[in-house]
Amino acid sequence: MKLNESLSFRNVKGRPARSLALIILTALMTAAVIAGSVSVTSLKTGLNALEARLGADIMVVPASAASKKNFENIVLQGSMGYFYMDRSYYDKVAEREGIEKISAQLFLASASSGCCSVPLQIIGYDPETDFTVSPWIRKSAGREPGLLDVVVGNDLSVFVGDTITFYNVECSVIAKLDKTGTDLDTAVYANTETVKKLIAASIELGMNDFTDIDPDRSVSCILIKVADGYTVDEVLNDLNLHVRRTKSFRTKDMISGVSDSLAGVSGIIGVLMCAVWALGLIIMFIAFTISVNERKKEFAVLRVTGASRKKISHTVTAEALIITLAGGIAGIAVGLLTILPWSGIIEESLGLPFLLPDAPLIAALCAGAVLVSALSGAAASAYSAHRISGADAGLILRGDN
Amino acid sequence: MKQIRSRIGGCILFILSALLTVGIRVIFPACPAHDDGSFMTCHWAGQAVFGAGIALTVISCTVLIAGNGKTAAGASLAIVPLAAVTALMPDIIIPLCRMPMMRCRTAMHPAVSVISGIIAAAALVNAIVILRKRKSADET
Repeated sequence: MKLNESLSFRNVKGRPARSLALIILTALMTAAVIAGSVSVTSLKTGLNALEARLGADIMVVPASAASKKNFENIVLQGSMGYFYMDRSYYDKVAEREGIEKISAQLFLASASSGCCSVPLQIIGYDPETDFTVSPWIRKSAGREPGLLDVVVGNDLSVFVGDTITFYNVECSVIAKLDKTGTDLDTAVYANTETVKKLIAASIELGMNDFTDIDPDRSVSCILIKVADGYTVDEVLNDLNLHVRRTKSFRTKDMISGVSDSLAGVSGIIGVLMCAVWALGLIIMFIAFTISVNERKKEFAVLRVTGASRKKISHTVTAEALIITLAGGIAGIAVGLLTILPWSGIIEESLGLPFLLPDAPLIAALCAGAVLVSALSGAAASAYSAHRISGADAGLILRGDN
Repeated sequence: MKQIRSRIGGCILFILSALLTVGIRVIFPACPAHDDGSFMTCHWAGQAVFGAGIALTVISCTVLIAGNGKTAAGASLAIVPLAAVTALMPDIIIPLCRMPMMRCRTAMHPAVSVISGIIAAAALVNAIVILRKRKSADET
């Protein structure tokens, strides 16, 4: 039998207002689930991408920088900002024990990228010693950037082969990095020599003031990988004790701040999703019970004319499935429309790494949400289906409840 | 009741078109002008969407007034390509700012695409519903 000829489908069609109300309710429930699950997955994907990009155990920054408001976002997520210390601190840190790899980075905020007058964070690194971003850059570019070569974050609308101008200095874009869902996606990577040249250009234009610091001997942060046989805590304590005017941090502790915020946001989303589902399920249960109660005589007539208990039960369950499937599909559309186009605003307002999962994972989440909504519909109607199929048709038709 | 039902489609189209027209100026406008008063290209995309939004609102008004007639079906069908072109105006027909975190990219672009897409879909469904109703009415 075709779907549109079935009794369940005609029952749904015959009461458009009730059906539409239930479809809208299911759509809202499914939209809440899909929007919530895509958001939580995006936050987790963003954190994973951020963790993968950070290869250092310890970060050393000037003591004065550690008190900056968004200091962690500057060093971890590529947010705008800069601070400098003399290169002698790099040498002092390098002399300490327990250090397997050490590399310095130099930050510079551009005044204009040549597009929309929006400044970018420029991160200078030393290709010879770097062990954090180099693997990513080599993967994307196939080679290390030379003088006045830059590698750009994924969100910048410049392409390989384009030129990008900072402080009137033209740089060539040699690669674009994979997306991380953080401000690193709008950052620009270059080798330290290029950044020093840009700093010199910015000073020449009167747009930067290094006061008593020599730009040629400046570093912004020092990244350290701890050697085997030493614990991160040992090296961290040693650095904090012996290299004065600097502050050393364990990178995992810094990420734990992001991770805690993420857990908090995910928890709130999870609670809201559960609340919407619990309320929706109760409303659906009541709606199906009232609807079946209203039509008790209809079902009794069906029983009398030869329909089996199983057939009655199937009809009620099929009605619920048709409604929840229609609502589920509509809810998927609504849920995706509320999340996918707005990922930029969400990322900006949360201030957390937010990276949309790839298409197959989104498709799997959608399929899961439709399945859950259909199962909820079946569960909500199961009690009504059981009651009506077990009721005595004769008693109902005599009007004896 | 029948009168109200026949105008639901027109009403939805009118509300969405008005939302697009007002929204592009008030809720999700393009990026502001530079300090020297010059505009980025996204400003002109916003202006184009505003113009198209006025046209959509006027045609939606026709659908609303015409109710269930052939005029309403024709006007609904006219909305479909106009709304589709409006959805393509930001970024595809008229380029936006290159930075992804600019207002034109985070708010204007998604809002215009989503609202215009819904208008196009709603107009198509409205036209089909009206034409089917008319066909069954003609048959009886």
